[in-house]
Amino acid sequence: MPDVTPVAPITETASLRLDHVSKRFGAVNAVDDVSFEVPQGAFATLLGPSGCGKTTTLRTIAGFYDPDTGDIFIGGRRVNDLPAHRRGTAMVFQDYALFPHMTVRANVGYGLGVQGVGAAERAKRVDETLAFVGLTGLGDRWPSQLSGGQQQRVAVARALVVRPEILLLDEPLSNLDAKLREQLRWEMRELQRRLGMTFVYVTHDQEEALSLSDVVVVMKEGRVEQIGTPWEIYYRPRTSYVADFIGTVNLVAASVAEVREGTAVVTFGSQRASVRVPAALTLTPGTSVRLCIRPEALALRAPGAPADGVVLAGTVARSAFLGDLMRYWVVVDGREWIVDQPDPGAVSPFDGPVGITVRPERVHIIAEPS
Amino acid sequence: MRSLRREPTLLLALLAIAGLVALFIVYPQIQVILTPGSTGYVDFLTGGTWVRPLQNSLLITALSTTTAVTLGFVYAYAMVYSDMPWKPFFRLVGILPLLSPPFVVAAAYILLFGPRGIVSYYVFGQSPNILGLYGVWAVQTIAFFPFAYQLIADVLSRSDARMEQAARNLGAGAWGVFRTVTLPLTRPGLGAAILMTAIYVLEDFGNPALIGGFFTVLPTQAYSLISGFGDLTGAAAVSTILLLLALVLYVAKIRLDGGRSYVTVSGRASSMPRPPVPAAASRACFVACLTLAALILMVYGTLVVSALTVAFPTNLRFTPVHFEYLTAQNLSLRNTLTYGLAAATISAGFAIVAGFLVQRGTWPGRRVLDFLLIMPAAVPGLFFGLGYVVAFNQPWLDWVDRGALIVVALIFWNIPVGYQAAVAGLRQIDRSIDEAATSLGASSMRGFRDVLLPMLRGSLRVGFVTTFVRAVTTLSLVIFLFTPQTTVATITIFQLVNDFNWGGATAFTVADVGMAVIVLTILAAVGGRRGLALGAARA
Repeated sequence: MPDVTPVAPITETASLRLDHVSKRFGAVNAVDDVSFEVPQGAFATLLGPSGCGKTTTLRTIAGFYDPDTGDIFIGGRRVNDLPAHRRGTAMVFQDYALFPHMTVRANVGYGLGVQGVGAAERAKRVDETLAFVGLTGLGDRWPSQLSGGQQQRVAVARALVVRPEILLLDEPLSNLDAKLREQLRWEMRELQRRLGMTFVYVTHDQEEALSLSDVVVVMKEGRVEQIGTPWEIYYRPRTSYVADFIGTVNLVAASVAEVREGTAVVTFGSQRASVRVPAALTLTPGTSVRLCIRPEALALRAPGAPADGVVLAGTVARSAFLGDLMRYWVVVDGREWIVDQPDPGAVSPFDGPVGITVRPERVHIIAEPS
Repeated sequence: MRSLRREPTLLLALLAIAGLVALFIVYPQIQVILTPGSTGYVDFLTGGTWVRPLQNSLLITALSTTTAVTLGFVYAYAMVYSDMPWKPFFRLVGILPLLSPPFVVAAAYILLFGPRGIVSYYVFGQSPNILGLYGVWAVQTIAFFPFAYQLIADVLSRSDARMEQAARNLGAGAWGVFRTVTLPLTRPGLGAAILMTAIYVLEDFGNPALIGGFFTVLPTQAYSLISGFGDLTGAAAVSTILLLLALVLYVAKIRLDGGRSYVTVSGRASSMPRPPVPAAASRACFVACLTLAALILMVYGTLVVSALTVAFPTNLRFTPVHFEYLTAQNLSLRNTLTYGLAAATISAGFAIVAGFLVQRGTWPGRRVLDFLLIMPAAVPGLFFGLGYVVAFNQPWLDWVDRGALIVVALIFWNIPVGYQAAVAGLRQIDRSIDEAATSLGASSMRGFRDVLLPMLRGSLRVGFVTTFVRAVTTLSLVIFLFTPQTTVATITIFQLVNDFNWGGATAFTVADVGMAVIVLTILAAVGGRRGLALGAARA
């Protein structure tokens, strides 16, 4: 199970390629030697906290910034010297940037007008696109007469209608409330699948990144921290930064005792466990590493109850009821572990001394001294 | 700038703007400054003829600014803070002086208080000599307090009413709030308003020319050196002194308010509710405003009556003869209208494009261009006009129509207001709007035309209206530039006053102001409910 990745590996031709791209603003390395590829028709997400360089990267792709070094290829063509309006990268902005003095129809038709598409053809394509995003009948409204969600759809329609090589989206859902955000997230994914268009999507919301993407590029301080499928990013983080940024995690200091074919025996606290070694990693005995264990991969049991795997004896320090799960903070040898109990209604809550079951196959090693 | 390299049209537009600014703003001014040469300056400065006019200029600027600002402040405070009645009326009366050449106040003053003035002679039987310091002081006070009022009212109405409500809520009285909250918060803005009024007074040419007598100030000295003695060197040196004084005031003003060079003048009250002032204070405000409004109406009423009567004030029988004279001599009025409309259209358009290139640009040197586009606001019209004479009154340029030269001078002298309005307007528009157009395939210039320009109509209108009004009301800019074929209304009025042809002068004034009112009314009607915004004009 842990070795399965549900998304096919990247083999198609790259729609977008960044090759050692850097961009400085004064003393700040906003984008620092970033390289990645996005295959044709993929949904790629640039993920990271604010200030990590994800939006700068997106704007550099769009041509709003010039990279200081490095090359950008769109559809196999180097675009560094192309002005923004000739790159075939339509963009959806965080604040939508709808033209307030144009109706919805005029907004959506704007790019076609610039391309010189005739009025009849333009009207037809605008109507099609409005229908596509579920805005039929709202063409004659003004942007100020629309709800936030409708404005967002107009922004998407306006960018889609020009059939860009790549659609760039800069946190397009961040100004919407949570329910609507989730609904539009699915619509967006659906839209991208139907069109087979390459999307590059910037967000700081890890849930959004995981649920939408074929490829996630995690960024930190201008650098790419890890590139992978959502599955890889979540379960096989290469650094504790990625592990910690995506979801909740227990990061446990450990030491490599022995290395065998594909597995390593690690010690942490008074425990020993035999853990699979990630393919890219070479370990030698004596190395300090970190163990990355997701709270939902752990289980609580009454102290002394029989169990498979490693059992840690601890005491519940506090707990929080989150609806779909119960979260426990358990102190083991002076260190706090987070354990999630799914379906909390099925069992009575734990308190006092407990045992934590660690299944070694759910433990991931990060080669990083603690 | 990335896009400059990739978008040749953008680069060309920028080069064109920079070239025109260099040619029509920088070059003529440098020519004036260089005209005397080092020996010329030494001779002139040691000659000492400039000392008295300089002293006079400083004195009258201090006096007139103080009184004009005081009256303007009273009017502004009453309009913004009191709940006196008749506010719409007072607002309209306050706008009227902005639409007329300030020096017509001097004409009205002579008619009212001169040796044969209706008040001085026919009421009190006196023939006072009103020429000189006190005459100029009185006239400039009346002429410029409405400008001070507009500037101060703009500052006061920007103060945060919520903060005043909060102070009242904490127990401060009306005056206490004003003294402890409003004044400290608006001090930079008020300082800037005072300095701007001082610049208007300092640069005023028409009033001292008509009523100064032997009281010579820098602008009138520069004029008489040229018109009386043909002394271009001396005039250039005097004008340079004037420019330096104005620049000092202007730089101080920019430090205070960041370079906002226009206020929005419209016929409507601001909707921000202010904490109430005591009823007695409102009554006092009403009386004060009534007095000041009466003063303004007396000035313009005198002009209208004089224009419509045989010989004001001796023979007050109605006659249309002055207006017949005016229709016969309509060249200057036609020129004023043509030049004003042409200059306003081009200046507003140029200012918007320049504002776009500077505000949205990231290329090096944009701060310099920004400064050069704002600077003409500090340049006295007399100096600016003299610059065009020195720079472009050349034999090899004889084929150029002199009217075109006046239009060009009006365009560039009036750039700052339209430019500032464009920059302010662009600051309100998020860059993602431009980028949205760009990402949909529009070049920068195309996006500007399709998307930004329609959103900047308000700024465009500010530039147009201000340039037009200033074109209709300026005397000092054109005094060196006009020819018999390219004379304008203000010149005609000035000449007629000097000829003591009061009927003709006042008829021309009424026609000139009436023309401005008609054009602005048409514009307001076309523009819909946005009202008219207008940079405070000056002569």
